Amino acid sequence: MSPYPHAREDRPPTAASRGALTISDLDKSFQIGGQARRILDNINLDVRPGEFVSIVGASGCGKSTLLRLIVGLDTDYSGELRLDGERIATTSLDRGIVFQDHRLFPWMTLEQNIELALLNTDTPKARRARIVADHIALVNLTGFEKAYPHQLSGGMAQRAAIARALVTEPRLLLLDEPLGALDALTRVHVQNELQRIWMTQRSTMVMVTHDVEEALYLGDRVIVMSPNPGRIRHIVEVDLPHPRDRRSPLLHRLKDEILAELTSGADAEEARDNLVHLPSREVR
Amino acid sequence: MNGWLARFPVRAAIGLVVPALLILWWHWRTSAQIATFAPPAAVGRALAELLHSGDLLRDTLSTLKRAFVGLAIGAPLGVAAGVAMGIWRPVDRTLGPLLHALRQVPMIGWLPLMGLWFGVGEGTEVIVIGMSAFFPSMLNSHAGVAQVERRYLDVGSILRFNTAQRIRFILLPAAMPLVLTGITQALAFSWIATIGTELLTGAGSGLGVAMSQAQVQQRLDVMLVVIAVTAALGFLINQIFRRLRQSLLRWQPSVQ
Repeated sequence: MSPYPHAREDRPPTAASRGALTISDLDKSFQIGGQARRILDNINLDVRPGEFVSIVGASGCGKSTLLRLIVGLDTDYSGELRLDGERIATTSLDRGIVFQDHRLFPWMTLEQNIELALLNTDTPKARRARIVADHIALVNLTGFEKAYPHQLSGGMAQRAAIARALVTEPRLLLLDEPLGALDALTRVHVQNELQRIWMTQRSTMVMVTHDVEEALYLGDRVIVMSPNPGRIRHIVEVDLPHPRDRRSPLLHRLKDEILAELTSGADAEEARDNLVHLPSREVR
Repeated sequence: MNGWLARFPVRAAIGLVVPALLILWWHWRTSAQIATFAPPAAVGRALAELLHSGDLLRDTLSTLKRAFVGLAIGAPLGVAAGVAMGIWRPVDRTLGPLLHALRQVPMIGWLPLMGLWFGVGEGTEVIVIGMSAFFPSMLNSHAGVAQVERRYLDVGSILRFNTAQRIRFILLPAAMPLVLTGITQALAFSWIATIGTELLTGAGSGLGVAMSQAQVQQRLDVMLVVIAVTAALGFLINQIFRRLRQSLLRWQPSVQ
């Protein structure tokens, strides 16, 4: 018997039969100033159904571009992107996404925003209110149904965006630096929420972040990417059951390793190039 | 109730101080020379007379009706044209240059042509009033739709919105602040156009007609009554619309 009643291992096998993402030989280039610039180079990755995969890397490694491709907002790529064997050619209600900015419609209340996501699903009208209320409860926002987005704090709005993305019960949820704009305390709080939601919801999740600790705390695997062009450099297995303890020595060891990797070699040169060089002052 | 008593009359009274001072000054200046400028008392008598005869009510109602028929035709067409131009570039390319050229002609400039085509009467007046409501509604709605943020349209794409859903749930509400700004301008322009066309065509009844008749009859007092009523009504309509706008845009963080 697992010490964690909601741990992944306890899930019924049916829940794990959908949401398999396959990325093979994926290349992506942008035209910049008349020249093709390779953004993603030969990405190969299999995400298992129900898995939580984190992607970390320096800015410019194409991790957000990768999510835009998976969600179907950008379909100009070469290689293969498949969800449960089906080639990704456009957006789909099977694939949800949460951005760094919550992107709730400011002209609608929290409740209306979430219900709008059900517009093109075949959910019966009579059941929608109930489903919306359940998802508001899932992200702990009960009582704020009638609030407009500007009346919510950053963390609340981000949780609302997570509820909107989950209400269609997507097979795959993409998270594009979802907590990047939050302050440190709110961030830890929403990370815990996200872990709890993932354990309840059981959909496959792929999260891009620049926070290594966050990536390790949530991810079953952490994909370390390197920039120019974006490549998968290293895949770290995080062999710890959920919910996790932030103080786990394994997490800290892995964090040190990944940080060392990100700040060495080519990446470190990149980072140095990004620094502002001030003229050095003579010491008298 | 106490709060209302405490705040509202004080605020309203501040707005009345300058008009009251003007009336006092006017009374003092004109008591000596009645022939060149009607004193406040004479204007008051003219107001009572016009109210009693029902002329003022009749003229006011015809003007209001004309203005609102023109607005009810021109503003929705303007919003529709502006939204269509904002959404579909071919519409903008085809109709844009023509409409932008036409709007350079002052509305009163259309009167002679319209008069020739449709005769001097209600039809011509309503067309000109409608046109003056059309252009500000069109321009602002176009700008409103054109500046809708890409990130919201992405959400619509992720939620698999079709064109009608995109217009209804994203483009129109996002453009609403500017659409309403356009309609506010349309209100003012159509009010001006109404009085203007009435003055120039001078047919039937209306506040503008009453003004031009008073000019012919050299009734300075009547003229001043009509001007005051025109100003007060225009102000009132604008205030009502401001309230409506505030309630429609209550989702904005800072609607004053």
